[in-house]
Amino acid sequence: MGKLEFAIRRVFQLVLTLWAVGTMLFVIFRLMPGDPTSYILSPGMDAEARRQIVEDFGLNAPMHEQYISFLTNAVFLDFGRSFHTSEPVQDVIFRLLPNTLILMLAAFTMAYTAGVILGVFVGASRGTKFEKGGIVLALVQRSMPTFWVGILVLWVFGAYLGVIPMAGMRSPGASPDSFLAMVFSLDFFWHLIAPAACLAFYAMGYPLLLMRNSMLEILGEEFIDVCEAKGLKRRTVLFKHAARNAFLPIVTAAAVSLGFAVGGSVLIETVFGWPGLGREMVRSVIRRDFPVAQGAFIMLAGFVITMNFIADLAYGYLDPRVTYD
Amino acid sequence: MGVKDEPGESIFSDLEEYADIGDDRTKLQRTYELWRETLAEQWGLLKQDALVVFGIVTIAFFAVIAVIAPLIAPHDPLERQYGADGILISQWFEPFWLGGEGGHLLGTTAEGYDIFSQLIFGTRPALIVGFAAAVITATVGTMVALTAGYYGGRTDDVLMRIVDIAYGLPLLPTVILMVAYLGPNFFNVIIAVCLLQWRSSARVIRSQVLSLRERPFVQSARVAGASDWRIISRHIAPNVLPLTFLYAAFAIGWGILTEAGVSFLGLGDPSQVSWGTMLQSAHTYNAMSFGTWWWFVPPGICIALVVISGFLIGRGYEEITNPKLRKRH
Amino acid sequence: MTLLEVNDLRIHYETSAGPVQAVDGVSFSIDEGENLGIVGESGCGKTTLADAILGILEENGYVAGGEIRFKGEDLTELTGAERRRIMWDEISMIPQSAMNALDPVYTVREQILESIFTHRKMSKKEANERVDELFELVGLDPDRADDYPHQFSGGMRQRAMIAMALSLDPALILADEPTTALDVIMQDQILKRISALQDEINSSMMIITHDVSVVAETCDRVVVMYAGKVAEEGPASTIFDKPYHPYSVGLKGAFPNIRKPNQDLVSIPGHPPELVDPPTGCRFADRCPLATDVCYSEDPPEVTDHADDLRTFCHHVDQIDGGFRDRADERATWEETKAAREVSQ
Repeated sequence: MGKLEFAIRRVFQLVLTLWAVGTMLFVIFRLMPGDPTSYILSPGMDAEARRQIVEDFGLNAPMHEQYISFLTNAVFLDFGRSFHTSEPVQDVIFRLLPNTLILMLAAFTMAYTAGVILGVFVGASRGTKFEKGGIVLALVQRSMPTFWVGILVLWVFGAYLGVIPMAGMRSPGASPDSFLAMVFSLDFFWHLIAPAACLAFYAMGYPLLLMRNSMLEILGEEFIDVCEAKGLKRRTVLFKHAARNAFLPIVTAAAVSLGFAVGGSVLIETVFGWPGLGREMVRSVIRRDFPVAQGAFIMLAGFVITMNFIADLAYGYLDPRVTYD
Repeated sequence: MGVKDEPGESIFSDLEEYADIGDDRTKLQRTYELWRETLAEQWGLLKQDALVVFGIVTIAFFAVIAVIAPLIAPHDPLERQYGADGILISQWFEPFWLGGEGGHLLGTTAEGYDIFSQLIFGTRPALIVGFAAAVITATVGTMVALTAGYYGGRTDDVLMRIVDIAYGLPLLPTVILMVAYLGPNFFNVIIAVCLLQWRSSARVIRSQVLSLRERPFVQSARVAGASDWRIISRHIAPNVLPLTFLYAAFAIGWGILTEAGVSFLGLGDPSQVSWGTMLQSAHTYNAMSFGTWWWFVPPGICIALVVISGFLIGRGYEEITNPKLRKRH
Repeated sequence: MTLLEVNDLRIHYETSAGPVQAVDGVSFSIDEGENLGIVGESGCGKTTLADAILGILEENGYVAGGEIRFKGEDLTELTGAERRRIMWDEISMIPQSAMNALDPVYTVREQILESIFTHRKMSKKEANERVDELFELVGLDPDRADDYPHQFSGGMRQRAMIAMALSLDPALILADEPTTALDVIMQDQILKRISALQDEINSSMMIITHDVSVVAETCDRVVVMYAGKVAEEGPASTIFDKPYHPYSVGLKGAFPNIRKPNQDLVSIPGHPPELVDPPTGCRFADRCPLATDVCYSEDPPEVTDHADDLRTFCHHVDQIDGGFRDRADERATWEETKAAREVSQ
């Protein structure tokens, strides 16, 4: 099978997964036991408002019509309006999604740089105290709940030392001209560093362990002996040859862990009051702002699914041996 | 794709021959003994690892605490405490050894609950969720893997597409949605937490089954006319058992972390105290700013201890079952 | 002139069961332009020996004694950087299985260029021309140099490895089972190619193999190793026509002989001993039809006066000419050893 054919088949799988996730959401929100409107409407609403919402949302239409219009709208990222603010869900998403992405990107860059490099050294020092220490460190990182680490960081660095802000994405007085101007401001960086570091602290254990296992396998290969016999420096053998080969499984794994990180970002955003999509999803679930919750969820799921897709393609690009059969 | 991770070869496949000695026992007895042998051998290997022993001891310790919680806890975890003046506590008390009133070992929360009692009772939901996640991951994941891997073809295709879809769902948001719509009681939290846990075990164990299916001892059993059930239960399942346990051990950790996260977000069972809800109320009352560390440090340590115990046990298993990780000398 | 001189070399592996004495007091030398074959069963320390000369022992392996003199310099005393300067430039290798000897994520050209640039200052253009030249030398199409290793067949990869080994005109090439992974016709081609190239650049070679016929075709001298020790050492012609160590005699009978096509192949029953706690006396005694009590109690003496330029470590050299050579062609002879009796029980 050629690369193109593989890519096409993978696209079909992507669409299938997106469709399945969308359908599942539709079912969860609408086919729950009891009156579907009771999940959506707040009890305090008067009859007129209630009728209006039911009408707006098409909740009185036959189920299959609702389903079709739900899917068509979802394709155009149209999830209706927030019950609370009447703001179009699309606007909410596009306002908050960049915040989440920046946080994730910062955290993942840190986590994967540190995790992979440390993993190379841990994998290369088999049977030493350093190796054991590295493994335990990685497990400890993954065992500490991110939100708890966040709380500790806020306590020590925020309240006690006073070097980081206690919440939010920018200082109350700051009013940057544009989103980009804000992102590149020192104030933003000051707010970003703690949540990103907490997320990275948690996320780096995974690449560390994977890289270590992968390195152990690669270092046993014959071509590593040849590289050493060629008189290459230890660093060259470790990074240019061993790590480059050991890195392949990490690419695929990164996608899976990104899925976890999207979940983790929900917690980190809540702890640090970071105005992202994850926190918004939780808040809208709690106040039963169903369209926002649904839209945010689909975006988060879409993100995970897309990352899986990219990872699969990237794997083929990085490893010339992959034949796609 | 052409390049696949070859799953670690089981070191237990030779047990298969062992079980065929002596025909006076019933099939069931032999199957039972085969499984018992497998487990005994693995246990023998496991207890050589100090970190695994640490994990098992820690979990056992917390299990004992969970069982005898009412005997240790000085107060009802959800009963508001009164100060010396007989008024409900509305601002926290410090632990008595920091000079706090009322003799509370870890002080009280801002709502006047005894923190130590909450911590003790918090072991219960944590361990139940961990145990449930382990069992469900082990059973569902292994069943799906055995079915898909052994029967192959269309069955495999359908089951693996379902696994793909499960992988498309972000873990915590999915759990949040499920809890929100099933209703925040403890049973629903368990269901939601376990909903996606089986996906990784299913995927990995399936590839192991695929390679086992082609091994000579399975092929010869098939030629000899053994039934599917016999092949699966006698020849394949015992060989994937180490992987099953590995994923079960990891699932303890993931289950507890997920439950804690859901509770921390305020979607836990309100009628029950868990370590996650303790951290939620500490965060809500901004305990970090007031430096009341005795409120928010202990629950986190407890979570981390139980979770790392699960990981350490799983890790120990991985080192045994994956020959590539085993020491060469 | 002597190129490589190995003196009383001892190599140990640290294991949980104690140190494994994989190479135990081995001495031999290679002259410039000479080919030396190291023969023995797997696990007799051949590969360990090569790894030690190349400086790529496993992490738990170390040189416990003796010296490896290359052009007069003791390699075991060099620092890592000094040693890396010599590696590949002066001593290169053709590894055991070329299948996995090339890094799968770089093209063959990139890998040969890497070995050139590590040791030589050269323009990119010159180096690329060198790669093309090497490819032609080993009989590969230079256009294929930009392929990845997985696009090559087994034989092509072996040729590519040879090209890489020759890239810096090394004084010594260590070839570890250079042809075992190939079919017979390919083996022959590759061996002929290696010999021809070697004459051209006048390098020495050390060929490690369990296949006596490979050595017969390519080597000037042979070292027969058993259980970490030298059993016999001498000119290839002597070792093939008239060996004096019972093990060499047995090995010779274990491979097909063109001159006696109908002869039964013999095999030597048993295994080499464990090297964590090696037996006293002659290590081959258990599997030797000539073994007597003295073999179990005393180390075999070095015998040098029985044939020209031959060193044999055996208590019973005098019995070889007395009919053993003929008896050795019969299987029954080898059934009388202690190891064979243990197997049949």
